[in-house]
Amino acid sequence: MNDLDAYRAAARDWLRSQLPAFGREAQAGLSELDHLALGKRYQRAKFDAGYAGINWDPEFGGQGLSPLHKVIFEQEEMACGMPSGYYGVSLGISVPVVMKFAQDRAWAKERVLAALKGDEIWCQLFSEPSGGSDLAGARTKAEPDGNGWKLNGQKLWTTYAQFSDYGVILARNDPTVPKHKGLTFFWLDMHAPGVTVRPIKLAAGDNHVNEVFFDDVKLTDGQRLSPVGGGFGTAMATLMIERYSASDPAGFGPALDLFIDLARNSEVNGRPAIEDGRIRSAIARTYAMRSGLEAITTRAMRMMAAGMEPGPEGSLNKLVSVRSRQKLSELAIDLMGNVGLAWDVHASGKDDWVASWLAAPTGRIAGGADEMLLNTIAERILGLPQDHRPDKGVPFNQIPA
Amino acid sequence: MSIVYDEAQQAIASESRRILDARMESARLLALLERTGEFDRVFWSTAVEQGWTALAFPEEHGGLGLGLVELGIVAQATGAATAGAPFQTSNYGAGHILLASGQADLVGQWLPRLASGEATAAVAFAEGNAPLPPRPGCAFAGGRLAGAKPGVASALAADIAVVWCLHEGRPALALAELAGVSRRAVDSFDNGRLYADLGFDGTQARLLVAGEAASELARDALARMAVVTAHEQLGGAEALMFIARDYANTRRAFGQPIGAFQSVKHRIAELYTLVEIARANCIHAASREGRPDFLSAAAAARLSATEAYDTAARDTVQIHGGIGVTWEGGLHLHMRRARSLAIEQGNALFWEDLLVDELAGAAA
Repeated sequence: MNDLDAYRAAARDWLRSQLPAFGREAQAGLSELDHLALGKRYQRAKFDAGYAGINWDPEFGGQGLSPLHKVIFEQEEMACGMPSGYYGVSLGISVPVVMKFAQDRAWAKERVLAALKGDEIWCQLFSEPSGGSDLAGARTKAEPDGNGWKLNGQKLWTTYAQFSDYGVILARNDPTVPKHKGLTFFWLDMHAPGVTVRPIKLAAGDNHVNEVFFDDVKLTDGQRLSPVGGGFGTAMATLMIERYSASDPAGFGPALDLFIDLARNSEVNGRPAIEDGRIRSAIARTYAMRSGLEAITTRAMRMMAAGMEPGPEGSLNKLVSVRSRQKLSELAIDLMGNVGLAWDVHASGKDDWVASWLAAPTGRIAGGADEMLLNTIAERILGLPQDHRPDKGVPFNQIPA
Repeated sequence: MSIVYDEAQQAIASESRRILDARMESARLLALLERTGEFDRVFWSTAVEQGWTALAFPEEHGGLGLGLVELGIVAQATGAATAGAPFQTSNYGAGHILLASGQADLVGQWLPRLASGEATAAVAFAEGNAPLPPRPGCAFAGGRLAGAKPGVASALAADIAVVWCLHEGRPALALAELAGVSRRAVDSFDNGRLYADLGFDGTQARLLVAGEAASELARDALARMAVVTAHEQLGGAEALMFIARDYANTRRAFGQPIGAFQSVKHRIAELYTLVEIARANCIHAASREGRPDFLSAAAAARLSATEAYDTAARDTVQIHGGIGVTWEGGLHLHMRRARSLAIEQGNALFWEDLLVDELAGAAA
């Protein structure tokens, strides 16, 4: 067994030992706040066991291992259904930015450690009512105010803002220059005066996203994470810091085995569903697609282990897997017929077809809509032209609304 | 586990690509389409000269001792150039069956000749539309074969055929020399594949293996050939994706490159997803030869490669507009090859069912 296999085996053993305390059964029936508390205890348990900040600098409380170790742990963790979701954005996006760009290094160290221990949660304030895909079109204003800044405006779809202690935010400091050049990146205290968070109930019945309002929120210049006007470049760079993370070929929906079980135990027009050509075709096609995504991930991990840079094909996982999960969930509900009309609002999208189907559209929009991902593949990987963009080079305040 | 190509394998990939780029001419390939019974001899002599015919056979039988991974790499280059002769795959399949049958005299007689490319073989499994019928109509008894095999690739020119047949009520594999066998040429939409309807009429043949062992070997051999063909399909699909990309970047309409229209660029981006999934499945399947999960890995490779090549052919022609459907433009070489390869080694309907049987247990 090589080091990585040993690491995986140890991670698996540890996760199994934590299942009674944190697994799906421990989460069943908890209120929102109790579930959050469980999630915080789980993060602390990870920290104590050396599974937090796996690939981060030990000086900041990390373990100093490779991104590959982190991905291996995430793969094993995902299979266990642990309550790690509250820290996805916090430790996956926001805190690495603070670690890299915060001006006050001692303060940054304190925050990173508190975040790794699960005591503090960070959100990322990017999308706005006027646009999510068009990130550089942000309208939230950061105006000079004494020695610091004053924030006004609104963010939207902010994941776990209601539980967050801090956030990183992209705001417009100069509307008279083209849109990419007038943005600055800051961190802020989510408990500061003038910050209002309102959860938004989504179609699947859950409340993990929010709208966040800023009403004369004061920031010091020490909270700036980018050069003035250089926020967009910093925002893009930060997306690369933690670019290796575990992906789920099932698109964060149920495993194919569950569909096969359902087909084994159902009939279609009086004949076993597992013998129905339409069902068999869906199983075969879904398997072929998911095994391809798995092979892409495995190959990328082997390349990382060999010190090589994985290819860009890792970027197609979310695009392909989530829309496939959406269709498979529809077919599963078809198979269940009238029985499939039941809805358990607390069911998990990883093992319940209705929950999976209801939340699937969110997956196709959040973190890069399908259409944006196709644009990225076309433009960045294949070298096809950019779309026609009437706002290109136009000062932000002169772009036709 | 999926593999990352090593330096030697990368060298095979770039060298086979380079040679085929230099030697393939679309005018020659187009002419073949209208000539039944001919195949691309330039390709075959290249394959012989480069040792591609010997790649996956053991060294003691005149081979190079490499495997499915390397054969797949060459097949991918072949597919990219719509090059190829059908023996590239069927010689490997027939040779593998001969080796697995353990019949030393036949191995000694044919393997070195297959490895050198001096002899060619066909694999005659399919009957009707069934790639591997559970009870083949072709029968072997008293050292002789009787029955028909339609549309067998390579068969117009091959020296020998491995035949899926019935022997004493059980499936079997037999080896026949084709010299005296009735071969009716099929005028095909992809003529270079040398399709023939074979008619065995008391043809002398040798029994290779019978019963459950024959079924297992036939499935394994078909899966191996399907993995080779999947690489060929992958090569074709990827080549088309780049052809579509290059055309969309240069062809202008309404004052801009057509690739700036999302209806076009997204279509090409979707091809990228299909190509990369097929590639990952192909590489993975080739690395699983001889393992318990080889059949499902091969089926996944086959299904995703067929989908990638068919879709790429459809969409690349569409993106080209009128020029895409001209004879001289030659895109139909890919379109034709996409469909002929989708049928050789079993259609998607066969592989879907086989895969679900592997995943869910055979449906009772």
